[in-house]
Amino acid sequence: MTDIQTTASMRPATTQDVADILMDAASKGEPLVVRGNGTRAGLGNPVAALRVLELGGLDQIDFYDPDDLVIRAGVGATLDNIEQVLAQKGQYLPFEPPRYAGLYGTDGARCTLGGAVSTALSGPRRILTGAVRDFVLGVEGVNGQGDVFKAGGRTMKNVTGYDISKLVTGANGTLAALTTLTIKVLPAPRAEVTLVLPAATLEEDVALFARIRALPLGVGGLARRVSPTGACEVLVRVEGTVPGVAGNQQVLGGLLATRGSMEVLEQQASQALWAGVRELDCLNARPDDLVWRVNLPATTMPAFVAQARKAGCINRFFVDWAGGVVFSTMRGVQPEVDTLRYRKMAEQAGARATLLRAPDAVRAQFGAFPPVSAGVAALAARTRTAFDPAGILNPGRMTVQA
Amino acid sequence: MQMPEPSQAIISQRDALAQGLRQIVGKDWVISDDAQRRPYQCDGITAYMAMPLLVVLPGSAAEVQAVLRFCNDRGVKIVPRGSGTSLSGGALPLEDGVLLVTSRLCNVLAVDERNRVARVQPGVPNIKISEAVSHLGLCYMPDPSSQLISTIGGNVAENAGGVHCLKYGVTANHILGMQAVLMTGEMLELGGAYLGAAEGELDLMGVLTGSEGLLAVVTEIAVRLEPVPEVARVISMSFASVEEACACVGAIIGVGVIPAGLEFMDRKVLDAVSVLIKEKFDDRTAALLLCELDGTAVEVDALVGVVSDVARGQGAIELKVSTTEEERQRIWSSRKLAFSAIGKLCPDYYCTDGTIPRNKLPEVLNKMADMSKKYGLDYANCFHAGDGNLHPIIMYDASKPGDLEKAEEFGADVLIACVDAGGVLSGEHGIGVEKRDLMTHQFTEIDLQQQQMVKCAFDPKDLLNPGKMFPTLCRCAEFGRMHVHNGNLRFADIPRF
Repeated sequence: MTDIQTTASMRPATTQDVADILMDAASKGEPLVVRGNGTRAGLGNPVAALRVLELGGLDQIDFYDPDDLVIRAGVGATLDNIEQVLAQKGQYLPFEPPRYAGLYGTDGARCTLGGAVSTALSGPRRILTGAVRDFVLGVEGVNGQGDVFKAGGRTMKNVTGYDISKLVTGANGTLAALTTLTIKVLPAPRAEVTLVLPAATLEEDVALFARIRALPLGVGGLARRVSPTGACEVLVRVEGTVPGVAGNQQVLGGLLATRGSMEVLEQQASQALWAGVRELDCLNARPDDLVWRVNLPATTMPAFVAQARKAGCINRFFVDWAGGVVFSTMRGVQPEVDTLRYRKMAEQAGARATLLRAPDAVRAQFGAFPPVSAGVAALAARTRTAFDPAGILNPGRMTVQA
Repeated sequence: MQMPEPSQAIISQRDALAQGLRQIVGKDWVISDDAQRRPYQCDGITAYMAMPLLVVLPGSAAEVQAVLRFCNDRGVKIVPRGSGTSLSGGALPLEDGVLLVTSRLCNVLAVDERNRVARVQPGVPNIKISEAVSHLGLCYMPDPSSQLISTIGGNVAENAGGVHCLKYGVTANHILGMQAVLMTGEMLELGGAYLGAAEGELDLMGVLTGSEGLLAVVTEIAVRLEPVPEVARVISMSFASVEEACACVGAIIGVGVIPAGLEFMDRKVLDAVSVLIKEKFDDRTAALLLCELDGTAVEVDALVGVVSDVARGQGAIELKVSTTEEERQRIWSSRKLAFSAIGKLCPDYYCTDGTIPRNKLPEVLNKMADMSKKYGLDYANCFHAGDGNLHPIIMYDASKPGDLEKAEEFGADVLIACVDAGGVLSGEHGIGVEKRDLMTHQFTEIDLQQQQMVKCAFDPKDLLNPGKMFPTLCRCAEFGRMHVHNGNLRFADIPRF
């Protein structure tokens, strides 16, 4: 599950090298696969290109200023490295970036910061702290003409010029080969506990999530899954100061009392549990399963899941973001047919269905990402041209040619 | 302030254009006579004025579409405007442009309590969103000081911040979806009414937010709603020196606390305020920090303890902690009254908003003192310390020849010092016309060109709010054809305005 047979890869170590490579490629109109270390090459559509521009060598940390809650690093810096550096000062990446190494059969230790920003994958804490896009303060990159540009800055507040940092986040390398990222970080919560309780129906669980979220209790994780022992359970993560968490746990205890027995996981146990949720472990996806992510309003989720299960489009599934996202496996004998049906179903429910993992041929034909309206697609295409007029940066990674 | 040369050909068609626009929005909603156009001559920056060609107030998204299409077809420029509270001249009219005012699009269309989203029209004043959902224990978090008047559409255009954005983020972090109309009249739906609705395609909503009305006109917005924090308490901390107060800002954040708000006031501001609130501040106080902490009662009590310890460790000479909501309001009143109090000290003042890394606060504040001597103008400091967002208040007298120019130069020097310290020209007010010509200090020609290429993707004729944000007009046709590599400026010789 990689990009279409590539013959050569280039691994520059400086921004100037990246610029030289792209200027050369632009002059020849030669498309390139742009990636970090390629650990998530299976996300997005396969790119037809003979050469790979691998940015994993740009792995320096330029500065880290804990008092200013900001770190600047090369796109190739690994998430493990960044998180370790931040942890030494009691800080973290609030968007809880998933690696999906298990999903793609790659080495999670090689997942890069640039990959996290380019794919814009956000973890379970998104409901409380926000998405990747909310923490990218500034970028430096090279556009499809080989021009080095920067945008944004290093301050929390900045309205100087267009927010190009947001535009390149989640652009999957189709606008620019990013080289340096400036990221807002936050103090990690001092305490966390997870309350584990028996699940009820999806409708009841979503209603419970809504009741919990209506209270300002610092709940940074609300999921529903099948546990390793086969029990269907609801997970509630509470974070904050030590006394704050204790107090909030009490309030939640009252709210959840009717659910019966409740297990409480402290600190490390809680962290390990959510790392598994973040990595979609509880899907237990088989190597040949298709894996889907569907974003939708939490209130429409139960009916959508019921319909999709009935139609055989969902095999295993679990729910995160307080009901706002469904991860599922598909085990159809005819993935093409099921892919179309599932996506249609999602569209009718006002949801967005992303194919996180599928054979190249399926992604190439149907697109990993759900279609957008013709007007939005046209504006996105014009925007890509504004950065990459020759169309050499990951062409077709996000869009399927009609 | 130099603006693009108005087109006499367009101005000469004023009556015909007014007639055409009346057919779209109804006769009452096109303003063409001098007396009624006059209030629209400026926004929050009164130093810059221009009489708009016409003022149009559409009553629906469909009318916005039709107005834009009509103007696009005739090559007529559009300046979008909400309530006109911009502090950077973003809504400054053009003499050959139609001012499109969103005041009539002022409805909260839907509140989805369980998914915690509200859909609103762009002309809704910020505060009205929170008012519409307060009975549910919810609110819309971003709270620019102008929130009683400024509209959500304007907030989106400027990516507005506010006192509480240190903890809760700015406008962009609270927008889930929007309906936007391009200059051609084409309507687009971006994102939706849930988290992740915009994923899987370029973040066009992200770049529209904060684009100062240069890319599209937003006609509907889906905003996130948050539960109102159970308790908020404020600590007032006095310091004998500005340096100690600045150091305390970093120390609070360094210890792992993100306050809901963290504001700085210098002695000049305190003296001005004490006249209004009839309360004396300790004579030794050179600077005051207000630190608001919110959350559950238990959480806040713990944080109050942590912050108080930090402040004492940093040499605070006096700490006052609010114990009731009334006390909290009273402590905050000094900050809320700061600008009007300064207004009583001088005939005019000018306020700008460069933003710097927090640890550069003392350095930049010292430079400001030097600049004050250089220009012979007094100043005061009252700003969002927690996020390094400076708001120097430069005092001048517009009736004195040359004073305004001196104040503007002083302000520009402050912004340049901010950029040199690793910061940016604007934290929340926007570039508009006010900071436009300083953009080349923060960005290279290539950086700016890349931004203007984005403008070309949205508005290739450069009809939406031209003359703002960039020191040169877009040249979309040339961008497409020419390319000069690193170091060689592409349009080194084109006129700037």
